[in-house]
Amino acid sequence: MRRNVCVLVAALFAVTARATPPDAAVAARGAKAFNRYCISCHGQDGDGRGPTAAYVDPAPRDFTSGTFKFRSTPSGTLPTDADLYRTITTGLHQTVMPRWDAMTALERHDLVQYVKTFSPKFKEEPQPAPIAIPAAPAMTPELARKGHEVWTKVQCASCHGDTGQGNGASAATLMDDWGHHIEPRDFTRGSLKVGDAPEDLYRTFMTGLNGTPMPSFADSISPEDAWALVAYVRSLRKD
Amino acid sequence: MKVWSRLAVVLVAAALAQRADAIPAFARKYGVSCSACHVAWPILNQVGQNFRDNGYRFKNGKDHPEAQRPEYVPLALRTTPAYQFTRTTNQPAGLAPTDPTAPDTRYPVVTRTGSVAPSGLDILTAGTISDNLSFLVVVSGFNPASPEAELESAWARLDDLAGTGWLNLKVGKFELDSPASAHRAISLLYNYAAYSPRFNGSAINLDFQENQYGFELDGHDARSATRYSLALVSAHDDPGSSGAFSSPFLYGHVQRSLELDNPILPWARLGVLGGIGWWPTEFETLGTAAPTGTALGTSAATSSPTPIAGTGRNHKNYYRAGADLSWILGYPSTPFFFTVAYMYGRESAGLAAGTDPTGTIDLSTQDNSFHGGFAELDWAPTINFVLFARYDGVRYATAPGDVDAGTLGVRYYLALGPRASMAVHAEVHADRNRGFDPVAGGPSWNGGDVNVQSALLGLDFAY
Repeated sequence: MRRNVCVLVAALFAVTARATPPDAAVAARGAKAFNRYCISCHGQDGDGRGPTAAYVDPAPRDFTSGTFKFRSTPSGTLPTDADLYRTITTGLHQTVMPRWDAMTALERHDLVQYVKTFSPKFKEEPQPAPIAIPAAPAMTPELARKGHEVWTKVQCASCHGDTGQGNGASAATLMDDWGHHIEPRDFTRGSLKVGDAPEDLYRTFMTGLNGTPMPSFADSISPEDAWALVAYVRSLRKD
Repeated sequence: MKVWSRLAVVLVAAALAQRADAIPAFARKYGVSCSACHVAWPILNQVGQNFRDNGYRFKNGKDHPEAQRPEYVPLALRTTPAYQFTRTTNQPAGLAPTDPTAPDTRYPVVTRTGSVAPSGLDILTAGTISDNLSFLVVVSGFNPASPEAELESAWARLDDLAGTGWLNLKVGKFELDSPASAHRAISLLYNYAAYSPRFNGSAINLDFQENQYGFELDGHDARSATRYSLALVSAHDDPGSSGAFSSPFLYGHVQRSLELDNPILPWARLGVLGGIGWWPTEFETLGTAAPTGTALGTSAATSSPTPIAGTGRNHKNYYRAGADLSWILGYPSTPFFFTVAYMYGRESAGLAAGTDPTGTIDLSTQDNSFHGGFAELDWAPTINFVLFARYDGVRYATAPGDVDAGTLGVRYYLALGPRASMAVHAEVHADRNRGFDPVAGGPSWNGGDVNVQSALLGLDFAY
């Protein structure tokens, strides 16, 4: 029943969501900020081919593709402006994308609009609303044990390994849409790229990471199961 | 001919651009452009300030040395080959009288010097030792005119004590947290006059432009919007007084920046600073006894004994207090960046010796004080260009040496990327030191002003 409601809501968004093309005037300001802060990695054309791109691992995002990993929107869709703003503000842990929160909020807002100018998708495709994230339950050992069952059910171990160290059987063969080898997250140490809050994990499980082999489980697990998986993955961390 | 001239310009520019293909330490480590952290290199913007406050960390999981490629070495060089012309007025010529009561027959001359001045070299290494340990070592010198190298900075810092950015402890030789860093000043011709006032006859050597040995407790919020520094140092060139901390200077600086919802004035920062120091006025001395029978008044009998470091006593107080205000006009990424700072200083009676130039005021019996400050504009309409202008002023209450100075310059960055920076730097400067003799370091022998005009054209690069 709950899944049917989700599908209905998603369908409703598909009908009502509209494209949100970049604001030209704001983007023009954002270009100045982009040239100051971003160009060395993301390149003048936003294609992820800046002067340092060859030495940066993971590779800088190619904005021209309109494919963004870290979103609050359903799999395969564009991110919201708030998603882009969040990534700029908090950075991506374990990558060279810093936290840019010391930059003024004005510049970060302007950068969002400028980033959107690199891909025509923002003019053409609807920008859906974020998925709903229910209130997080208590992260108890019982919930984590249930989460292990979900882990097994959706075959997380094939990429992330039995112990969550990112050494699953298919780990060595994984590629992203740009042809770069991609390593599954090692859940046993270090912060996750988008943050360590339970909501960050939940969002990733239910939206997937566009352009990577990490799928969305929105159609295969319930929100309760997703929270259980969150509890289990958080229990794997050892540091 | 014009074709050859243009070709020469192109070739020179190309050669300079090739020289800039190098790797500054931080930009190389994180892959960001120099412009990400600098309004105009070397002046920090808010991102750079936050990076510095964090102990040269972006806190993105890539700070630990083990997160870097093994071949990464946190090393950078900076030098500034440049032509410099300087004209100085009212310099003494002739012979100084041997008898103090005889009339001074010296006469003033104007000196002019122009050359590609020896620029020396800074070798910098800085970064992180682990996730919560950072460091900076700067060796400067190697100047043909003064070849000895100096340890300009050498400190290590314990970051995020108790897990918070509000507590960090630095130990070593470091720059006091001043309104605008003298070590990252954009002017290459003139330092901040208010940082190093020289009271007539004063014994105090404290100079904000010199790094000090000591401890610093500092902290900040996540964005460095609020930040503080509390330092206890032995004042630069202190004579080695007795006590647990030699010639101590206790200094504090607090800054608070605000983001304003205003497209014309989007950002401003206010700071206050203060310091109190204790300087010894009496020492045990070591000298050579005059031979038996030496007549009083001869040089052998009156040779000055040498103060013994570590025996200083009868400390007198001196103070510094001030405020600073920075603000941005226009878009923050291409800003008009203003900084104004005011400093007041006071030194207790007994810290100066001698009399004023008129011979009527005994400087040792009264407090001395000064007011000083500067106003600076750095305008960066593009990433590659900055125009800067600054006024410096110092006024002394009782002594000569009042300073008025103006500086104007431009920098065009041939390279400002993630590997190296090189700027063409052109600057002119003029200052007037009233009644101050730079040769003797005290009141002018003829009471006149010393005017200095200088110009510089060079290449400033970091590798």
